[in-house]
Amino acid sequence: MSLHKLRLAAAVPVTISTFSSRLFLKPFPNTLTLGLFSRRLQPRKPLLVRAFSASAAVQDIPANQTTVSSVARRPQWKASIDFKWIRDNKEAVEINIKNRNSNADLDAVLELYENMVNLQKEVERLREERNNVAKKMKGKLEPSERDRLVEEGKYLKESLVSLEEDLVKLKDELQHVAQSIPNMTHPDVPVGGEDSSAIRKEVGCPREFNFPIKDHLQLGKDLDLIDFDSAAEVSGSKFFYLKNEAVLLEMALLNWTLSQVMKKGYTPLTTPEIVRSSIVEKCGFQPRGDNTQVYSIDGTDQCLIGTAEIPLGGIHMDSILLESALPLKYIAFSHCFRTEAGAAGAATKGLYRVHQFSKAEMFVICRPEDSEFFHHELIQIEEDLFTSLGLHFKTLDMATADLGAPAYRKFDIEAWMPGFGRFGEISSASNCTDYQSRRLGIRYRPSEPLQTGPNKGKANLPATKFVHTLNATACAVPRMMVCLLENYQQEDGSVVIPEPLRPFMGGIELIKPKLK
Amino acid sequence: MKGKLESSERERLVEEGKNLKESLVTLEEDLVKLKDELQHVAQSIPNMTHPDVPVGGEDSSAIRKEVGCPREFNFPIKDHLQLGKDLDLIDFDSAAEVSGSKFFYLKNEAVLLEMALLNWTLSQVMKKGYTPLTTPEIVRSSIVEKCGFQPRGDNTQVYSIDGTDQCLIGTAEIPLGGIHMDSILLESALPLKYIAFSHCFRTEAGAAGAATKGLYRVHQFSKAEMFVICRPEDSEFFHHELIQIEEDLFTSLGLHFKTLDMATADLGAPAYRKFDIEAWMPGFGRFGEISSASNCTDYQSRRLGIRYRPSEPLQTGPKKGKANLPATKFVHTLNATACAVPRMMVCLLENYQQEDGSVVIPEPLRPFMGGIELIKPKLK
Repeated sequence: MSLHKLRLAAAVPVTISTFSSRLFLKPFPNTLTLGLFSRRLQPRKPLLVRAFSASAAVQDIPANQTTVSSVARRPQWKASIDFKWIRDNKEAVEINIKNRNSNADLDAVLELYENMVNLQKEVERLREERNNVAKKMKGKLEPSERDRLVEEGKYLKESLVSLEEDLVKLKDELQHVAQSIPNMTHPDVPVGGEDSSAIRKEVGCPREFNFPIKDHLQLGKDLDLIDFDSAAEVSGSKFFYLKNEAVLLEMALLNWTLSQVMKKGYTPLTTPEIVRSSIVEKCGFQPRGDNTQVYSIDGTDQCLIGTAEIPLGGIHMDSILLESALPLKYIAFSHCFRTEAGAAGAATKGLYRVHQFSKAEMFVICRPEDSEFFHHELIQIEEDLFTSLGLHFKTLDMATADLGAPAYRKFDIEAWMPGFGRFGEISSASNCTDYQSRRLGIRYRPSEPLQTGPNKGKANLPATKFVHTLNATACAVPRMMVCLLENYQQEDGSVVIPEPLRPFMGGIELIKPKLK
Repeated sequence: MKGKLESSERERLVEEGKNLKESLVTLEEDLVKLKDELQHVAQSIPNMTHPDVPVGGEDSSAIRKEVGCPREFNFPIKDHLQLGKDLDLIDFDSAAEVSGSKFFYLKNEAVLLEMALLNWTLSQVMKKGYTPLTTPEIVRSSIVEKCGFQPRGDNTQVYSIDGTDQCLIGTAEIPLGGIHMDSILLESALPLKYIAFSHCFRTEAGAAGAATKGLYRVHQFSKAEMFVICRPEDSEFFHHELIQIEEDLFTSLGLHFKTLDMATADLGAPAYRKFDIEAWMPGFGRFGEISSASNCTDYQSRRLGIRYRPSEPLQTGPKKGKANLPATKFVHTLNATACAVPRMMVCLLENYQQEDGSVVIPEPLRPFMGGIELIKPKLK
C-alpha cells in the first residue's frame, strides 16, 4: 500500500463506509475513547428557559428550572458563540452557570468543541490531500500511477463526504448544547435566589388609608371599569374588557409614556405581534417547550409576541450597522400575549396576570463599552416615570438565580399595591450585552481609527463586532392600572387621576362612581 | 301499570313498555341527529335583505352620497409606500424578515398619527353616547362562528391558536357580540352602544394582486369599531346614525369619498343591509374601502342568544311568557368601522402630500399629536 493509503487506514479505524453510519456523537478515534459520549445521550438536558421578565417577581416556578420537553425542536439557526473564550474561561463560566441555577452542560460543550476542532482539522487535511492528488493528476503520468491516484482520489472523496457530514452534525450538536449557556454576570450582581436581590433605591412610602380599602378588582366592578366575567365566556380566564374611563386611562398612560420617553431621544415604533418562531428563540425564549409562555399559530411557524423586545430585536438582525448609527434607541408600543402556563395561586388575581396586555417597551442597541451607561439611563427613565405618577416603589438589582439566560444584569422595579398588601413587579430593565446580538446576528463596524490597528477585516476595513442590546419596560398597562386604582382610591369610592395623565385624558381629574 | 291488573295484562303492558322504550331511544337519537343536520345546513341560510338594496354584483351597488372631489396635484405624486419610505414612517422590509409579508412597523410621526386617529375618533364617537371599550383579541372559535364567520374553512380569514379552540379576532365585532351572549337584557337597557378599540388579525388567504399593496391589505392592524344592540324597530334608525357618524368623521378629515349601498351579492351572510364607504386614494388612482356599516338584524343575536324582555305594556296582550312576563325577543345588532388605521393612513398620506415631500396633518388631529402640523422629510 502507498503511504497515503496507510495514513488513511490509521486515521479511519473501521472501513470508510461504516463511519458515516455510526452515531454522529461517537468521537473521532484518535482524540477520545468511544464510550465517552454515551452518557450525553440520556437524558436529554432541557434547554434553558428564560422567564418573561414581567413575571419574575412573583413566579411560582424558578425561571431557570422550567423543564422543556425532550423533543423540543433543535434551533434552525446558529448563534455566533465564542467557544474559544468559553474554553479559556471555563472556570468562570462554570461558576456562572451554577450561580444562575442553569442546566447548561459546560463539559459537554467543551468536549464537543474539542471534537469539532479536531474533526475540522481532519477534514481540512483530507481536503488538502485531495487537492494534492488533483494537482498530481494534471501532470504526465504512467497509467498505473494514474490509476492509483484515481483510486486514492475516490477514497479521499468518500471519506471527505462522510467526515463533512459528521462535522455538520457535530456542529449542530455543539450549537444545541452551547445555546443554553447563559450570559455572564456583572460582578456587582448579588449571588443567590430571589431573596438575595439588592435594593438599589426606594421612592415614596405606602399611603396610609383611614378607611377600608378595595382591591383593583372591586374598584373595577364598582366603577364599571373592568369586565372579567364576559371575557371568561368569550375567551377564557385571564382575559378582560376595559370600559369607560379605564380605556381613557390606558390611552393616557401610553400617550404620556411615549411623549416622555421620546424627549430622551427614543424613536417611537409600533411592531408586528405575529413573528416567526426562530426570532423568539434568538431573543432567548423557548416557544415550544412544555409550560411555554408563547402562543403558536396553527399551521405556521409563527408565534404571538410576549413582548415588543422580540420584534425590536428582529429589526436589525443579520445586519452590520455603522458605528455612527449607534446608539439606536426605540420606544415601541404593542399588545403582548402570554400563556402564563404554570402560573397559579394568589399571584394571578385580576389584572396582575393576564393573557393579553398593552405595553410600551424601550430597546437600545449600542457599542459594548456603552451598555452599562444605557442600563443606567433606562432605569433612570423608569424611575422618573413612576415617581411622576406618585408611586411608592423600590428598584432591585436582581440576584443571579433570577436573571434568566440573556441578561448580564437586570433591574426590576416593584411598586406598592395596597389591595394585594405587597409589592408587585411593574417593570424590568435588562442589559443583555451580546447574548441576543450573537443570536440575531447584529454587528457594527467600528469607524476608522486614526492609525492602522491589528484588527482589520476585509479590504482594510476594521473587523465587525457584536453590538450590545438592552430592553426595559416603560409601561405595562395592567400592572400600572392596579397601582393607580389601588393607590389613588378615595373613601367615596372614586379614584383620583395623577396630574401628569390628566391632559392626556381630556382633563379628567377623577373617576367617579356612576349613577345607576 | 299503576292500577290493579291481571298478571297476563301486566305482562302484556311490560312488553309494550319495553318496545316503546326501545323505539323511543332510537327515535330520540335520530331526532338529535336530524336536528344537528338541520342546524348545519340551515345556519348557512343568509339573512333576509332590505327591500331597497340593489340586486346584483359589485357593479350594482348604489351610491348614496358623495363628498368632496379628487384633489388636483400640480406635481408628480407618490403613493403611500414611497411616502412611507421617504419620510421614514413605514418599514415593510424588516417586518418581512421578522414576520412575513403584509406585516409592518410604523415609525416616528406615523406612530403619533395612529394614536391621534384613534384618540380623536374615540372622543368624537363618545360624544354621541357610545361607551368606550378595549376587548380580548383571542376568543373561543365558537364565538367567531356565532358572529357569522368561518374559522376553519379553506381560505379562512381567521388565525387559530395551536393546541386550543381559540382564534385571533379579525374585528372587535366578535368580542363585542360575545359580551352579551346568552343573556336577556331589559328593554330599558337598550340601546347599548359601544366604541371598541382593538388590534385585528386576518390571514388574507386568497387575496392577491394589486389590491394588496402596502398598507391596503395587511395581516395586523388597529381598528376602532362601533357596535349597537337595539330593539328590532330601532335598527334602521341606528344604521343611519352609524353611517352618519362615519361620514362626519371622514368629512372632518377632508377626505373625498362615496357611500355605497352594497348590492345583494356583496352583502355577506349576516348583513340585512350594508353601507360601505370608499375613499379616494390618489396613489392607487382609485377608490378604496375605508369602512363598512352593517345592520345584521337578528342574524347574530339568534346565534349568540342575545334577547331582551320588553317592558310591561299598559294592557295585557296575547303574548305572555312565564309568570305573566312578556315573552323575550331577539335584539338586533349593528356594527360599523369608525377608523381602520392603515386604510386611513393611506388616504391621509397620499391626499395630504406636498411637492416638497412633506405631508400636512389634518387640523382635527393636530391637538392629538402634540400640535404637529406637518410631517417633514428628515435630514440625513
